Amino acid sequence: MTSKGTRTTALTVELRPFPKPVATMPSSRGVRLLFWCVLGLLVGIPWTTGATTTSAPSAAAMATTDPELERIAAEQHNCLRCHAMPTLAYRSPTDGEIVDLSIDRNALAHSAHAELSCVECHHRSYTRYPHPRRAAPRDFDCLGCHRDDADPRFAWDHIETEFAHSVHARSEAPNAEGFSCQSCHHPHRFRTTQIGDPLTWIVQEHNQVCLSCHTQLISAASASHDWLPNRAAHWDAVRCVDCHTPADDHANHRILAAEDSPRDCVGCHSADARLLARLYHFRSEEDIARTGLIAKAIYNESYVVGMSRSPLLDRLSLAILVLVVLMLTAHGVGRYLVHREHKRSS
Amino acid sequence: MTAHYLYPAWLRLWHWANAVLFVLLIASGVSMHFAGPDWLIPFATARVIHNTTGILLTIGWIGFIVANARTSNGHHYRLHFRGLITQLVAQTHYYLIGIFRREPHPFHVSETMKFNVLQQLTYLSVMYALMPLLIISGWAFLYSVYLPETVFGIGSVWIVAMTHVVVSYLLALFLLVHLYIITTGETVFANLRAMITGWHRDTTPGHDSPQPPRETP
Amino acid sequence: MNAVAHALLHSRLIRRLAIAVAILLFVLLAFYKFVYPVVFDAYIGKSNAPLTYESSQPLTPAQFDALAEELSQEARRTAAEAIVSETDNAFARLVKVEMLMNTPSFIREHEPTHLKYFREAGILQYEGPKTCLQCHATIQVQHHDGRLSRVDTLDDLVNSVHFKLQSDTGSGFSTVGYDGRLVNAEGSRPIPVGKINRACGIPGSFSWTGWAALIESRPEAAHGEIELRSEGCGQCHIGGNYQPASEKMMPIGDVPDVAKEGIDCLICHSGEYDMNQRYVIQDRVGLRWNQDRSLRAALTVGRVTTRNCLNCHQHNMGGDAYLHNEAAQALGDRHRRLLHSGAKRGNPFSPEDDVHAAAGLQCTDCHVPEGHKIPRGRMGVDLVANDLPDVEVSCVMCHTMAPHNRSEHRALLNGHLDRLACETCHITELQDQNVVLRDWVHPTWDAEEGIFTPTDVYRSGEVNKGFTFMWFNGNGTFLANALGNHPDGSDEYDPLMQQLAKIDDPEVIAAVRDKAIELQATYPDIDVDAYVRAATDPLSQLTPEQLAQRRAMIDENLREHMNEGTSKIYPFKLFNAMMYEDLGNQGPFGAMILPFDYKSYYETGDAAASVKQAIQDPIVQRMYQTPFKLYMMDEFMAYFGVADGWQTNYPLVEGELRGVEPRWMRQMGSLMVNHGIQPQGRDCIECHAPNGILDYRALGYSEERAAELEDLDIVTNLQPN
Repeated sequence: MTSKGTRTTALTVELRPFPKPVATMPSSRGVRLLFWCVLGLLVGIPWTTGATTTSAPSAAAMATTDPELERIAAEQHNCLRCHAMPTLAYRSPTDGEIVDLSIDRNALAHSAHAELSCVECHHRSYTRYPHPRRAAPRDFDCLGCHRDDADPRFAWDHIETEFAHSVHARSEAPNAEGFSCQSCHHPHRFRTTQIGDPLTWIVQEHNQVCLSCHTQLISAASASHDWLPNRAAHWDAVRCVDCHTPADDHANHRILAAEDSPRDCVGCHSADARLLARLYHFRSEEDIARTGLIAKAIYNESYVVGMSRSPLLDRLSLAILVLVVLMLTAHGVGRYLVHREHKRSS
Repeated sequence: MTAHYLYPAWLRLWHWANAVLFVLLIASGVSMHFAGPDWLIPFATARVIHNTTGILLTIGWIGFIVANARTSNGHHYRLHFRGLITQLVAQTHYYLIGIFRREPHPFHVSETMKFNVLQQLTYLSVMYALMPLLIISGWAFLYSVYLPETVFGIGSVWIVAMTHVVVSYLLALFLLVHLYIITTGETVFANLRAMITGWHRDTTPGHDSPQPPRETP
Repeated sequence: MNAVAHALLHSRLIRRLAIAVAILLFVLLAFYKFVYPVVFDAYIGKSNAPLTYESSQPLTPAQFDALAEELSQEARRTAAEAIVSETDNAFARLVKVEMLMNTPSFIREHEPTHLKYFREAGILQYEGPKTCLQCHATIQVQHHDGRLSRVDTLDDLVNSVHFKLQSDTGSGFSTVGYDGRLVNAEGSRPIPVGKINRACGIPGSFSWTGWAALIESRPEAAHGEIELRSEGCGQCHIGGNYQPASEKMMPIGDVPDVAKEGIDCLICHSGEYDMNQRYVIQDRVGLRWNQDRSLRAALTVGRVTTRNCLNCHQHNMGGDAYLHNEAAQALGDRHRRLLHSGAKRGNPFSPEDDVHAAAGLQCTDCHVPEGHKIPRGRMGVDLVANDLPDVEVSCVMCHTMAPHNRSEHRALLNGHLDRLACETCHITELQDQNVVLRDWVHPTWDAEEGIFTPTDVYRSGEVNKGFTFMWFNGNGTFLANALGNHPDGSDEYDPLMQQLAKIDDPEVIAAVRDKAIELQATYPDIDVDAYVRAATDPLSQLTPEQLAQRRAMIDENLREHMNEGTSKIYPFKLFNAMMYEDLGNQGPFGAMILPFDYKSYYETGDAAASVKQAIQDPIVQRMYQTPFKLYMMDEFMAYFGVADGWQTNYPLVEGELRGVEPRWMRQMGSLMVNHGIQPQGRDCIECHAPNGILDYRALGYSEERAAELEDLDIVTNLQPN
């Protein structure tokens, strides 16, 4: 979806569709970085006003004179006085499981929601302690805020449709019950992937989301994905969603069931590989600028086993081989005919 | 009838080991290269086979080079430039035309030279150019992490991969031709037998008259 | 011909060589087995001899049967009474018990297991480990990681801390020397470390010099009559007989077999062990501790219960004077054991004062043994040996990280776990007898017991008096100072210059002054002001150079260990003692303290003479000689913060102490308290208030944060009215 070296900032942990390439390309790297950061901000939190110049949004820590931000910071601080305690939790009387109420202050400050006041999502009455005793309200509805997003790039309705077809939404397994946006996109920590984030980090971060529920996969005894050569290497380098979403799209919320997911090596391990279309998008701007675009593409290809396949070379070589076989056969037949002739004549 | 002892035991042993390794390498290499279809060796198995046989091939090749340097076998690989072109033309002419006209073989095997000039050129380039390239690129694959990221702005692994693939194709080509050419000896299996027993038998020693290649019934 | 002769000669040569080597090996082995132990005993001036115990008497078969029947009935009755305890009517209870007592299945189920085993094996006398090992020569051990192994029982025990009073060298310490090195860390030269070779101000002696003593007491009530009393470390430490297992300190050698026969299996394993058999006896070889080796005790063996542990351990938890210390109710049929009135920790493990004891938990539920090795947890500040340093013993193993379930504010309470140890809230006070300042140099006459005892200048179980709060990450110094730091890595938190080095509570200072004035009546030399200052500000005993050196060593050597890992706030019992010190071996954190001889100390009250007596013990003399210096004392001193190694100037010259002065240790020791857990924790307001029990600023919180923590609107809202 991207072209001419434009890469997306909003490579998101939550796999949103990518923003369209932007028309102009600032020349200097610093300016470009700033540009993308700003874009990231706009994309990530378009509902805040006035935050346009900071690259590491941290409402709590930000030294700002903006009274609105100050108010938000103060509100966050109030809540975080308790909720930043890493062990703020209780055991649910219904199932004995530990319910974690803690919020990682640092993760929040770097998350897409960093500049939101807590009560934007949580009910107003939560400003007092003890909090009202009632079931977790259903009003933490992402689409409630995100649907009206003016930015067409985010196509939230589309995401909703995709999600409705996702295995997570359709599964009847008991632990898939109540699956929502937050099941994967932790509202207090998810952040848009930034230019320059190391690829391995992105892969890890993305897969962590899946593995936090699909824990049985990590077990050494697990036979899942056994068909995959070099399973560990794949899991370190490939995102789960690279295979478990429909192949035709870059980012998709329609997570496929195991049986619907592709199992062919060539799908990725070839020149027009899916992998290239996806994961390797995320190579940073700087990297491309350093090595050159062509070298980059070639380079990326060669890193995957099977990438030694060059269809042109393969075709050419196989053709030559076949040709030679034909020639040799012809030669042999010729020799045989001569031999027969000679035998008959003598 | 004369007989030349052209292939000492070590050479035969090496040749056949090499042959087996070549087959295994091609089979496993193809399986990895075209990984996917069911009829190929499973990727994980092929990888192990390819790595192991590749390492063995390297050892064999080094052994061959050392042996060539230390025994008389090496002189078969020494080019003699005088008359090279003439012989080349004669040999090519023989393979393309003469062989059908039942012309005499322009070259006669002896202890001092067992290869005709075409063979000599081919084996020289195979053993001293393609094989080292193949081996070096293969090892570079094995230890690709130690390679520089890029060479001249091109991903070094890509260079390695392409080298390996192109050389592999060329060697496969060589194998095909090699398999065919050995049938062009005195009899169809004469050369094969020679490589098994070590003795090259010539029914017309020092004879200049043309000898017809004979087909076994 | 020549060649054959040569070969013959050759083979004969080889044969001769082989024989020579075999003989040499045999001689070496014989030397190691028979000569070395004798030489070593002679060197350290200790003796071993075959041991006999009066209580180990053979029974006739008829007596055995009677005893078996009695024990069986007892066990049955206890079980039956427990079952019927719910029944209200007393007579109905009686009838039910009687019925149960005669019910065949009930009889089978509640008969002590070993009655049958002993009867089948024809054992009519309990002869110590020998008897147990007949069946239990090896035992299966389940390790904490699930591994199973089979070990030699005797070997397992002999190499446990309970017997040898030290850990295997090279592992088990989270102790940091003042020189900044981890004690016995990999790569260092390991030295034996544990109670075996460490003097301490609470008992006032070494295990070597204070193993067993018979004290001639003159209690007031007896009007001048002498009563012999038992005293010494050996009353609890099962190892050794006439002395602790010093042989284990050495890189080679083992405890002699006769000494192993002295191991008291039953004190830990018997349900009916009679603590009245535990007293000092004198035989022709020397003083040693008697044991209960009766068949009654032997027949009631089983798994270790809390009661077994508390036979000894209530001494260092609740204390001897603790009201519910059962062992202290059975002081001995003869030579009654002396009770120590000041408690080491003052946090008892008993149903009255500990919620887990009340719930019927056994010690081994948390301290899960692996064979005879018993874990004490990963956190250790006091340089005591640890059999299983990698095995966790902690509250969260059972309680999880979300232990609070009842309170409306449970999540908030659980939130505190990241910063506070459970003990911080759930041990609100220690026993009153908890001793904080102990003066060994100026003993006090105890008229009731008829002995001189060290003067406890200050005792308290109150918060910030008897114990205080410190950051702790599991590391401790060589002199038992908890290490840790505010997770922000503050430079303000400085326990070795503040919390542990200074008492500034005016009430405590006043109490110390009162005691000093009281002591002055007996010891007119005492300058009250100087005394109070040294006791409450021990750093005042240092020269400015020593102070500067101390400052530098804390910053350069200890800071990094304070910042390691995860620190939480723990309560620590505080302790300091005035003792005689060898000032020739002094550093900025203290000097080598010298032991007291219990007998002369208790009988005469002449502290200095008692020290002279104690240091004449051969092993203390050896300590001041070159082999010991090189083997362990130099390294010991390095960890102690003394750079120039151990000075071997023996402090007793021509009957006079040389270079020896009474001193308070340069800082208080801090001892972990983990028992005496109260179900009701502290109130929020105890900490979250101005002048609360936590001194946030001293703990390294920023002024802003401290002010916030002291004045939380949430807490204010929570308070009733």
